[in-house]
Amino acid sequence: MSAPFRFDITHGALVVALALYTAFAAGPFLWVASMSLRTTTEISADPYALPDTLHFSKFAVAWTDGNYGTYFGNSVIVVLSAVAILTVIGAMAAHCFARYRFPFRRFLYFLVFSTIIFPPQITIIALFQILVEYGLFNTRAGLVLAYVAFQLPITVYILESFFARIPSDLYDAARMDGYSEWEIFWRISLPVAMPALSTTVILNTILLWNEFLYAVVLITDDDKRTLPLGIQKYMGDQLIDIGMLATGLMIAIVPVVIVYVFFSEKLIQGMTAGAIK
Amino acid sequence: MGNVTLEGLTKRYRDAEAAAVDDVSLDIANGEFMVLLGPSGCGKSTTLRMIAGLEPISDGTLRIDGEVMNRVPARDRDIAMVFQSYALYPHMTVFDNLAFGLKRRGFAREEINRRVNDAAGILGLSPYLARKPHALSGGQRQRVALGRAIVRDPKVFLFDEPLSNLDAALRVNMRNELVKLHQRLGTTMIYVTHDQVEAMSMGSRICIMQDGRVAQVGRPLDVYRYPANTFVASFLGSPQINLVEAAVEPNHDGGRVLDVGGARIVTDCPPDRSRVIAGIRPEDFYLPGEAPGDAVGATLDARVLAVEALGAETVLLLDVDGVDKDLTARVGRSARTAVGDLVRLTVDTRALRLFDADTGLALER
Repeated sequence: MSAPFRFDITHGALVVALALYTAFAAGPFLWVASMSLRTTTEISADPYALPDTLHFSKFAVAWTDGNYGTYFGNSVIVVLSAVAILTVIGAMAAHCFARYRFPFRRFLYFLVFSTIIFPPQITIIALFQILVEYGLFNTRAGLVLAYVAFQLPITVYILESFFARIPSDLYDAARMDGYSEWEIFWRISLPVAMPALSTTVILNTILLWNEFLYAVVLITDDDKRTLPLGIQKYMGDQLIDIGMLATGLMIAIVPVVIVYVFFSEKLIQGMTAGAIK
Repeated sequence: MGNVTLEGLTKRYRDAEAAAVDDVSLDIANGEFMVLLGPSGCGKSTTLRMIAGLEPISDGTLRIDGEVMNRVPARDRDIAMVFQSYALYPHMTVFDNLAFGLKRRGFAREEINRRVNDAAGILGLSPYLARKPHALSGGQRQRVALGRAIVRDPKVFLFDEPLSNLDAALRVNMRNELVKLHQRLGTTMIYVTHDQVEAMSMGSRICIMQDGRVAQVGRPLDVYRYPANTFVASFLGSPQINLVEAAVEPNHDGGRVLDVGGARIVTDCPPDRSRVIAGIRPEDFYLPGEAPGDAVGATLDARVLAVEALGAETVLLLDVDGVDKDLTARVGRSARTAVGDLVRLTVDTRALRLFDADTGLALER
């Protein structure tokens, strides 16, 4: 009799712990979500109240009047391009580091990887100068390049450790089957490394979608701004339009949530991967 | 056709002192089943990988059907290989695994279907064509790996210890199937293993390798009966051959006689030696009454140290006065011997092999 009882206690404790954690993690999100449907006046009157009337029109106002449509488009263009380039270049570099033995391999790998020790603030002035010189300052292409450079080392690092675990017999078998190194990369390495690729795609997407520092320094035109800059727009020097700020945040958050839900299974696979045999 | 010729094939790794494969020369005829046998690290897999084109050749020449292959990439050598780890593509179905090599070579869809279905039929894989490798058992994966080689219809098949990941019963099964497959296809096969039973039972010839060099090449029974040196002698056969040092003395009639633990064995050993290593296979000892009528025997008195009754045979561990090592004898299953017994064994001296005491090389008799 004691076993089921003990199970109930642990089970109950687990439920309580999970409930607490869920409240801790989801609470602020739900709060912002409810604020996004209320006006600033309503929020000032009672910050924690649930919405009386649902002001969905605020989303339309932010999208058109607040220029969020443009910001959203810019974010999509910049992040998708950067993530696509990162994934392809990162996978190729990782494949080479993991698969081939060439002179200075360790040194080059260290060189690439060592750049992650620099905080982005250190490179920002130099980056600004370089982009101005090449006529890439205040362009989305310039921002994409900066993002690629910034995220490439960690991408290579994650993918290399995964590629290195793919048994070399697999490559040898493909070579015997008549495939060139280039085809082997596309037809064996990439599909087999799908879980790791998903991990880097989701990490890079979320990180770059929320990126603020590079965007604020390297972009000045309002028409080229990305979403994180748009959110700042509702934060004046004297006054913060809390209601519109929450609406803007929701516009920015929803795609991230969708990406995560869509890729999360692959993400967990990638993190717990190893069963390649 | 599939004649494979190795001329002084050598592999040196940059930071290694000794060559991994050292001056290996071998002529493998079309349709032959050649087994490369040796302990791990003897260079047999490296040799195979050089033939496959997966490992650059440091020195020497590799020819297939007379054509030099040293610089020809793996994909143009018309060779198929089965790997120890199977190396199945995990993201593809069994069908796609089998068809992958054919697609690259531009076969028509109907031809690919025909070949894949044929191979799947031969290997009993037809019900599994839509499955992915992770949903197959070890034996089935092995068959897919085999099928991937068969569909290609190559000049030469290479096998790199393909059965070592299977359990014992399945291994015996697959061994027989591989032999049948070889008879059916008649293609040249080169098979790497460290398992002497596989080598003896499958190979039309065996090439035994030691420290990157060829120790001996020959038909299984020839190599077993006439080993070129003590390494080959002790590598083949289970239980191992008995190798004992023996003094060579002049006989009263001017001949030579070998003294093994008091047993005096008349021998035609070259006259310039006083000591040799004598090799006696465990099955060449006979208990009284067991020796075949034509056995030319010497007798040896021994004390039984251990008895392993294996059912089909009995293995005795013996202590013989004047011999520094314990001897192993394999006698009939009806042997009634107990630990501590004194037995008088007959040795079939025709099966005795003599080796140089210093170099271990076989002596001409």
